[in-house]
Amino acid sequence: MTNHWIDLKNSDCILVMGSNAAANHPISMKWVQKARDKGAILISVDPRFTQTSAKADIYAPLRSGTDIPFLGGMIKYILDNNKYFKEYMVDYTNASFIVGPKYDFKDGLFSGYDPKTRTYDKSFWAFEKDPDGKIKRDNTLQDPRCVFQLLKKHYSRYTPETVSAISGTPGDELLKVYEAYASTGSKDKAGTIMYAMGWTQHTVGVQNIRAMCIIQLLLGNMGIPGGGVNALRGESNVQGSTDAGLLFHILPGYLAYPRANLTNLDSYLKSITPSTKDPMSANWPQNLPKYFVSLMKSFWGDKATKENEFGYEWLPKLDVGQNCSWLNLFNTMYDGKIKGFFAWGQNPACSGANANKVRQGLAKLDWMVNLNIFDNETGSFWKGPGMDPKNIKTEVFMLPVAASVEKEGSITNSGRWAQWRYKAVAPPGMAKPDGDIMIELFGKIRTLYKKGGKFPEPILNLKWDYVDDKGHFDPQKVAKEVNGYFLKDVKIGDVEYKKGTLVPGFALLQADGSTSSGDWIYCQSYNAQGNNMARRKKEDPTGLGLYPGWAWAWPVNRRIIYNRASVDLDGQPWNPKKPVLKWEQGKEVDGKKQPGKWVGDIPDGPWPPMSQAGGKYPFIMKPDGLGAIFGSSLADGPFPEHYEPLECPVPKNQLSGQFTNPTITIFSGAMDKHLTCDPRFPFVGTTYRVTEHWQTGIMTRWQPWLVEAEPQMFVEMSDELAKLRGIKNGEKVKVSSVRGEVGAVAIVTTRFKPFKIGDLTVHQIGMPWCFGWMVPKDGGESANLLTPNVGDPNTAIPESKAFMVNVTRIEGGK
Amino acid sequence: MSEGYSILVDTSRCTACRGCQIACKQWNSLPGTHTKNEGTHENPLDLSADTWKIVRFAEGPSKDGNPFWHFFSEQCRHCLSPGCMADAENGEIIQDEKTGAVIYTPKTKDLNYQATRDGCPYDIPRQDPKTKQLFKCTMCFDRITNNMIPACVKSCPTGAMQFGERPRILETARARVEELSKTFPKAKAINPEDVRVIYMVNDDPQKYWKLAAGK
Amino acid sequence: MTISRREFLLISGAVGAGLALSKLGIDTGPVKAYADELKKVDKVKSARRTTTICPYCAVGCGLICSADIKAGKIINIEGDPDHPINEGSLCAKGAALFQTTANNPNRLQKVLYRAPHTDKWQEKSWDWAITEIAKRVKSTRDNNFIEKNSKGEPVNRVEAIAHIGSAALDNEELWPLQAMMRALGLVYIEHQARI
Repeated sequence: MTNHWIDLKNSDCILVMGSNAAANHPISMKWVQKARDKGAILISVDPRFTQTSAKADIYAPLRSGTDIPFLGGMIKYILDNNKYFKEYMVDYTNASFIVGPKYDFKDGLFSGYDPKTRTYDKSFWAFEKDPDGKIKRDNTLQDPRCVFQLLKKHYSRYTPETVSAISGTPGDELLKVYEAYASTGSKDKAGTIMYAMGWTQHTVGVQNIRAMCIIQLLLGNMGIPGGGVNALRGESNVQGSTDAGLLFHILPGYLAYPRANLTNLDSYLKSITPSTKDPMSANWPQNLPKYFVSLMKSFWGDKATKENEFGYEWLPKLDVGQNCSWLNLFNTMYDGKIKGFFAWGQNPACSGANANKVRQGLAKLDWMVNLNIFDNETGSFWKGPGMDPKNIKTEVFMLPVAASVEKEGSITNSGRWAQWRYKAVAPPGMAKPDGDIMIELFGKIRTLYKKGGKFPEPILNLKWDYVDDKGHFDPQKVAKEVNGYFLKDVKIGDVEYKKGTLVPGFALLQADGSTSSGDWIYCQSYNAQGNNMARRKKEDPTGLGLYPGWAWAWPVNRRIIYNRASVDLDGQPWNPKKPVLKWEQGKEVDGKKQPGKWVGDIPDGPWPPMSQAGGKYPFIMKPDGLGAIFGSSLADGPFPEHYEPLECPVPKNQLSGQFTNPTITIFSGAMDKHLTCDPRFPFVGTTYRVTEHWQTGIMTRWQPWLVEAEPQMFVEMSDELAKLRGIKNGEKVKVSSVRGEVGAVAIVTTRFKPFKIGDLTVHQIGMPWCFGWMVPKDGGESANLLTPNVGDPNTAIPESKAFMVNVTRIEGGK
Repeated sequence: MSEGYSILVDTSRCTACRGCQIACKQWNSLPGTHTKNEGTHENPLDLSADTWKIVRFAEGPSKDGNPFWHFFSEQCRHCLSPGCMADAENGEIIQDEKTGAVIYTPKTKDLNYQATRDGCPYDIPRQDPKTKQLFKCTMCFDRITNNMIPACVKSCPTGAMQFGERPRILETARARVEELSKTFPKAKAINPEDVRVIYMVNDDPQKYWKLAAGK
Repeated sequence: MTISRREFLLISGAVGAGLALSKLGIDTGPVKAYADELKKVDKVKSARRTTTICPYCAVGCGLICSADIKAGKIINIEGDPDHPINEGSLCAKGAALFQTTANNPNRLQKVLYRAPHTDKWQEKSWDWAITEIAKRVKSTRDNNFIEKNSKGEPVNRVEAIAHIGSAALDNEELWPLQAMMRALGLVYIEHQARI
């Protein structure tokens, strides 16, 4: 989230699309309701009428996988009706940038496409530059090659009629949504988006979100209270685990993972250091080398020296283009090339798309270590359906771990608040905190390597002193290391910092090895003031619900990021009634003018407003400082374009000759089947969650109160579809895709309606993915047995939200 | 004498998160029972000696083309003149003077179950088949007499459940009906003069639950 | 850590605290398992109270655990009324957090091992499991270590071991976890954010 949960109350129009907040983030509705009590409009766009829709002022259905037409139509509506916030757009976004002559778009393809590699050469989308290296701009927005004009041209095809004919959304509902949301383009109005996996789990997932980012930039909704682009993250610490770089492509703090062609530290640091010729761009990422070197000091401690490039060699390197993300990981496992596997608090046998392939992959391992608080379908896969233990060699170690209330540490919520939690009691039986297991396991491995082994240096040199005086894992020690220390006496400006003290904030981190920091964006979380994540102060000076003294938010306790975009060029809030930030002129003291200052939230950098000398653009993490309406770094194009899901019910893409996303990776093994427009699988399928179960349900399906409320796998379908298939409400049915099948109880409901897509009637069904064979006994299986293992070209997140299925009655299937 | 407490259940704010249903089980140490999906998210399908609070789900088509989906967090209404007490002449059922809570004692095992149940316009009382004792919501009597609000009310995120002194709750209900009526002409509080647990609806009560407004 | 007692003060003009039920003429109590229940409210009032954050979705709601220190057991968990996000409220999952604790007999409490081609778990000690896992990590790593890629560039990685998880761990566990996996040379490091 660029904003945070409480900030929803400051919104005038809340669009819930690609999520069902009422069911899956229930407490968010507390703040949505507060906004509604003040007159805000709540819009729900969803294939199914959900708990959120039931509370919404406007509900619009759409067929799964057609969000870009829906949002593209909104972009066109905003442009055609001059609903955009022009000052904001000109000054704070790249709308005025001139795109180079090689950029083009024809029949669904952008220029620079190579069909052999299924990739784009993004240099075709570069901006034009002055001789002095600054990007050319036309602030009148008239130049036909400026971003604004190209945007207009691109979305001119997304007429309401075309959109309706693709998405199945009735035209009047479409216009109601467009009108309500576009009204937030005025200075004193804020519109926000609450999205989740309903947007990300598509082969156009990133571009779904990009389309909304464009809308937010056009309407001036970024950086303001009640605005922003808000991903409702689904797991208590999925934000923290992403921040900590537990993904193949990033290190802690989102530092790009080093590739093999970057053979030394210098070449790596150059590759992560963007430059700009525009003096008004802060280009904050130019500081990344300081954060990387500080990270290496946290990794290797004293062993990281200038002479050994701070241990850069000890980090494993990826080949250029090598993708080790989820789908590839399980593909490699299925191919038998992965021998050992840690499933640390995760249940891929139910959560992975095309879960049958995942389960087969598990059977090819030599060994697996499974850590959880409950038995689960992954650790016990060898006794699952269709498995014969006699034929399965995989050794499994199942380790019992402490639950959340049985250990101490912090987790980071979707609004970037790191909050400390305490140990209430000791874990039961032999269960141990994960931290202790890591300490013991790595300690044991290190002991083995002391006697020799391949490339032992990183194992022997890793700084690994995170224990208390009794030898137990010490979260306080790690929290301090993540924040970072001064490693020698350092003088910065006029201030001396002593060796061994905690670094106050990331602006003081150094690239010379004199500081450490395990994750630069968490620098300030634990410093001389103490453990800031544990704070419980309730003051709210702005009245906007920022609660700056409650817990701690990254970066630097900023509660709304990009907040410099909430003020005009003179630093005065666009909406004076909700000032998240405001520049106060310095007073005259003894005839001398004092410097001005920002009041409110922590600003995105200390510089004065843009109209003053030394002022900077608001989007400081962008090398050019401005919000990207034209996004030239994406794999599948600078503007979002509609492509049908890999499996879809329509024979062609009505917007172009390019049927599906041209840049997706399609696996071609025996278990990687997919079928489109096949009469055997005529219905659109999608997956979702329920309030009572969490993710695969492995924590909740063992709990009697929650199982009592949602006991069994179900499939929701319209009255019309039920009639077509002779299915009655409450009957047991079979749902199948080309990859697998699951049994489910039919919930026949008016909350699903067939879509009119041109001459076609398209039926859609929906299933939860929170069940699994293990428990409850008659609970049913995971919907991920049906989902396709094809991913978004940027993130590789699988397309679990739109695929093709069949539904049939089971004779006597009550 | 004080006028006791009331609970407002403002269904227009309810999102069916079912925090209340579980919070009731947690505080009162009630077990989860075995259920099946019967073609609805509502579960358990009925109150029981082990379930004193359930969120009822009701849906259907409506005039504007969109469906309606109503959520009704069902519990004892703690009537001002409880029908279930008609035959409870020996202290089997107690109406606490200060709070107004209607409390079933273990002596309810001696009552005629069917008659007691029939006496309730909302069909709330349930019998433990083993002990024959009758059970239902206690208004979290142990909590409200210890300065804690009822567990269900505390769990409610959206203000769909509110607890307080009866006059204040009646005033809140009146103001909310006035507000909702602007959009929903059918908005009303159900039997506010007769019950302590006052439901607010913005559609016909029977569309929420057949006994929403009583027999 | 200080926790206010505010959740006990939410009723204005409340009736006398701790009103004795006996005054109502009730001998054996009004509610199911009366004796336990009465004890519960008293126990909760005198329990050791610690704050926590909900382990499910990423809204980050606050809760208060009440633990009976003598028994080492959690006796009640409910919303933290001081928490600015949830202000004491909870959804179904949060309200059920009690059933993730030792109160749930389904919790894993033993170290289990499944040998190749067998159909049951064996109970093992921590020491045995950690030692055996360490041995397997070392032999798989050493047998599959990739020093250089096809271009001859140093890569020092291991593709034969993969790690997934975990968005359920604390930040202070995640950092050493990623450091440890990278020190071992792993590149297949993924978690819930990808799916």
